[in-house]
Amino acid sequence: MLPEFELLMPRTLPEALEMMDESSKVMPLAGGTNLLVDLRGRLSRPQTLINIGGLDELRGVRVEDGYIVVGSAATIADLKRNALIAKHGQALRQAATVFANPLIRNRATIGGNLAYGSPAADAAPPLLVLGAEVELLSKDTRRTVPLEEFITGVRKTVRHPRELITAIRWPIPPEGSVGVFRKLGLRKADAISVLSIAVMLLHMDTGDCDQLRIALGAVAPTPIRAAAAEDLLDGGPLTPEVIAQAAQLASEATQAIGDIRGSAAYRKRVITALVQRLLTNLAKDTKEKKH
Amino acid sequence: MTAKGKALPRLDLPPLRQVGRPLRRVDALGKAVGTTVYAGDFTMPDMLHAKVFRSSEPSAHIKQLNVNKARALPGVACVLTADDLPDGKLITDMPGQTGQERRKESDAPVLAARGVRFVGEPIALVAAETLAIAEQALKLIEIEYEVLPGVFDPLEAIKPGAPIIHKPDNIVASWKIRKGNAEAGLAAADLIVENTFRVPFIDHAYIEPEAGVAWMDDQDVINIRVCTQVVEHFRSIAQAVGVPHNKVHVRGTMIGGGFGGKEDITVEIFLALLTKETRRPVRLAYTREESILAHSKRHPFIITHRTGVKNNGRITGAKINMISDSGAYPYLSPYVLLYATVTSCGPYRIDNLTVDSVSVATNNPFASAFRGFGGAQAAVAYEQQMDEMAKALAMDPLELRKINYLKTGDFNAIGQQIKSAIWLEEEATQALAALGKKESVSDDAIKIGQGFATTMQSYGRIMWFHDTSRSWVGIEQDGTIVVRCGAPDLGAGQANSLCLIAAEVLGVSLTDVTFYNSDSAVTPLAGTTTATRQLYMSGNATLKAAKMVREVLLDRAAQHFREKPNNLDLADNKVFIKSDPQQWLSLADLSKMCAVDGLKLQHLALFAAPFADKLNPENLQGDIFPDFTFSAHAIEVAVDTKTGEITVLKSVGCHDVGRAINPIAVEGQIQGGSAQGIGYALMEEVQVRDGVTRTPSLSEFLIPTAKDLPTTRAIILESGTGVGPFGAKGIGEPALTPAAPAVANAVANAIGVRIHNLPLTPERVLAALDRAKRG
Amino acid sequence: MKAKAITLNVNGRRHQVTLFPNVTLLEALRDLNYTDVKNGCEKGDCGACAVELNGRIINSCLVLAWQADGARILTNAGLGTMESPHPLQEAFADAGAVQCGYCTSGMIIAAKALLDENPNPSETEIREAISGNLCRCTGYSQIINAVQMTAEKMMQQKAQE
Repeated sequence: MLPEFELLMPRTLPEALEMMDESSKVMPLAGGTNLLVDLRGRLSRPQTLINIGGLDELRGVRVEDGYIVVGSAATIADLKRNALIAKHGQALRQAATVFANPLIRNRATIGGNLAYGSPAADAAPPLLVLGAEVELLSKDTRRTVPLEEFITGVRKTVRHPRELITAIRWPIPPEGSVGVFRKLGLRKADAISVLSIAVMLLHMDTGDCDQLRIALGAVAPTPIRAAAAEDLLDGGPLTPEVIAQAAQLASEATQAIGDIRGSAAYRKRVITALVQRLLTNLAKDTKEKKH
Repeated sequence: MTAKGKALPRLDLPPLRQVGRPLRRVDALGKAVGTTVYAGDFTMPDMLHAKVFRSSEPSAHIKQLNVNKARALPGVACVLTADDLPDGKLITDMPGQTGQERRKESDAPVLAARGVRFVGEPIALVAAETLAIAEQALKLIEIEYEVLPGVFDPLEAIKPGAPIIHKPDNIVASWKIRKGNAEAGLAAADLIVENTFRVPFIDHAYIEPEAGVAWMDDQDVINIRVCTQVVEHFRSIAQAVGVPHNKVHVRGTMIGGGFGGKEDITVEIFLALLTKETRRPVRLAYTREESILAHSKRHPFIITHRTGVKNNGRITGAKINMISDSGAYPYLSPYVLLYATVTSCGPYRIDNLTVDSVSVATNNPFASAFRGFGGAQAAVAYEQQMDEMAKALAMDPLELRKINYLKTGDFNAIGQQIKSAIWLEEEATQALAALGKKESVSDDAIKIGQGFATTMQSYGRIMWFHDTSRSWVGIEQDGTIVVRCGAPDLGAGQANSLCLIAAEVLGVSLTDVTFYNSDSAVTPLAGTTTATRQLYMSGNATLKAAKMVREVLLDRAAQHFREKPNNLDLADNKVFIKSDPQQWLSLADLSKMCAVDGLKLQHLALFAAPFADKLNPENLQGDIFPDFTFSAHAIEVAVDTKTGEITVLKSVGCHDVGRAINPIAVEGQIQGGSAQGIGYALMEEVQVRDGVTRTPSLSEFLIPTAKDLPTTRAIILESGTGVGPFGAKGIGEPALTPAAPAVANAVANAIGVRIHNLPLTPERVLAALDRAKRG
Repeated sequence: MKAKAITLNVNGRRHQVTLFPNVTLLEALRDLNYTDVKNGCEKGDCGACAVELNGRIINSCLVLAWQADGARILTNAGLGTMESPHPLQEAFADAGAVQCGYCTSGMIIAAKALLDENPNPSETEIREAISGNLCRCTGYSQIINAVQMTAEKMMQQKAQE
């Protein structure tokens, strides 16, 4: 059984922000796929939940000033079947197809996945490589935080208790950019990630070299970018040697820990192997495309 | 591996009308439309809700237990502790049978009194007006523990000086086999292969957590509606509650999966105690987490094989050592160990054999029955050992097996003669042929492997338990049939099989049969739905009862037609003259005639399995099981050598089931059983550290999803040589047993190195590859 | 904690119920005797409590009843009856897809959601669609058969119409 709590049911976003402002012991409830589980396990004890899942202002995917803007209450299933995401958020779409299971995907929201602050959040690595920002709104304030700064530790974010995530946004990647996502779980569906990787190649139509971004999940207290690996790859051709070195650097960027799903050493090692594989495939694909 | 086998002997099975046809199960549609009522679905007027207060310590003395605040909470009807019980002990016996001995003082208490031995051990019971109040009351129970040193590894637990779980020592059971001269056999070998294999704790993970509702009636009978594999626990329940046996009535429901996990008592005694105390209906349903905490697990085993073999492949001798972790209370550990011991060397003839096995108490969760019951653990070891020997000999794994397979008429490890068909060679050959060629991959990192396993698994209970079953068959005056039999239905189609048998014998269609089952007071006692015994035992009892009804009908019809009964037959709801089917009478008219004559149209039959004496634990020699099912399973896997991930590409199970009573159900058993075996091999493990489970729910304890499995192709062979009805053998447990070692062998074939511990996690795959690289 | 009157539209029937906010849709449905909706884990791991909520399958254990106020809820029992079963229910019974039956209602609702979107799914698509519904008895194969049988039958019926 769930513990006792108050549940507020705002009908509009301003109403929700008003409610959020009234107390610090409130918690927004969207899909509930993490929160209700935690409440039942008594891992979280908010006094008041504010149901934001049904707010129209927080749904949908749209293009705005060269950005893709995803409402925070868009479900993972929404992302999976959205044409804009398919085109401008390939790695995110791939993550959405392997996210938990179909029932969870119909409830879980992109905002909730980030707000929960799990190092294993499957939406995070794709959004990191997309250069996403998190839009936070309170009754009186509005700010945008880069995703890299949003999650600060295991289950910790910079979201103030009075703030709501209203949207996730990222600049539309240049035409010809490619994103991929790979997760490793202990079974082939409905598994918490032992590790996850998103890689994105940003095609620079300005004539500059293509840029590569790599993000990793479940191998550090937060989802991370593999900056050193990205720097190494910056500008140069994707030779097998460079790829191997970058994969090694990516692995060194992790602060993996051991848990019931795998040891730290295993995680580090497979990060190397899979980053190498994803980059090699990417190099092959782009080569094929050019020819 | 070769795919050429000898032709099977031609069989002359009698033609049957209903048996063997893919008919819709009698229980299927109700479950499909959602109207079947399960144990947790019942409510009663004025019903209380129960919760169990459980230990958070694996090994502790209870210094103080105070339930006063919980009792004082408004809405709490009753709180019970060990002080309130008539007799503290839960009898974890094989129910309803004779011939076994229990280790004194090691039975699990209903509620812990002075100390606790595992995390989750029940300490107090609460019944309240609402579930919320009951949960609140749990929080008001005050307990003070004095934590005692625990022991969590069976290898530590058998060392001198280890904490003792139950006096006098931690050895819960031991069995030995001494056959021929193992030393001499090993000395005569060209090659000796030694390996140690380990298998983990796993959970049954039936989708339905344990649940029940109990009430007292006007005769002071405690009625318990519950999902159980064993309605005959009513005797143990009565003893624990302190009432006569005839004052407990267990009404089994359709069960949402059991697999051995609902074989021991779960909620029944708690419900009985609370309803007796309050004289109100009480409901108790476990959450998933409580289910994982409260019910048994599959035993972890450490199994060492030391096998001597000639260069020509003939096994000359073997020494096998088995250690199982029984956890904190023995439950069925001695018998699980016995099964493992008897099948320790598999379906192979080994004349010089020594087996030593022990089950060891620890402060881990308790282990007991789980589909395969020790036979599955044994198979994981012996079938990997066979492949390792083949590898060492550079011999085809099937060739090596063929040289050593038991043949009909041979004597098994304990000297029991196998009288039924042993079609292992044909099964392996067919399974491998169905597997076909290995798939090819372009990626060097992906390795494809194929493997198989051939196993023996008993059906029917240990013969010294003197197993019996009863079934009642009657024909109504409109020609419809009623079957009454106490057999609980786990979902595998137990009830349906009984209906099919009655329909076959009495010449009606399956839809003309109605069944009543799983009731300890109203339906004839049919024993447990365990040990793959219901088709064998209750199937035979039903067959016998139906034949008795048939005889009455044919005798009366013979008078009517002025024919000999032998010249008549029953089919299509009619009795007719075989040589002149135009002369017929409806079963409805015939049964009315019989009723007018006062003939007996309802018969109760008892089927008794062959009895045997208890075997000597110091050297098991003699008859132990009514028969065995012999099986093969073949698997193809893809292994990603960079990540360690394993994908099962193909799966084929080939089993001689004697006779397929309901082919769709048999296929379902083979597919479902092998799914559990594949899960066992690849992902299932209840991880326990210092007595605390680290996999408390279904997001940590993983079982296969639809994406983790290929379709298992079921190849059903029918030798007609089983001891079940119409020559059937059992398939429930045998379906699981070969799948896990087949996966392990396929993985070893793919990566060229053996992983000795299940589950074969990605991490273990990489570690094994590292070992191989280091050489 | 204050209770509130809400409306649950289940299988075409309107229920006015007064519930506390911490009651899940699963608990509410079972209290209304929709016991085909099963409790298997209460944390979204097993799918036994799956129902359709406004046309989408969800775990009813992870939805608060208030969140379903006014929504259309469909459970397996709403698809058909013993006398007039839904083609999926019939196929499940015939294909051996039902063993213990505890996962069946959730499984059928998941299959129905799939066929609504994709009337001719491949085996891979069926496996994906039911990957949030655990079954411990069947190994899923006969369930997949049942879904395929239904798809064929429904397409044939449509072609005839």
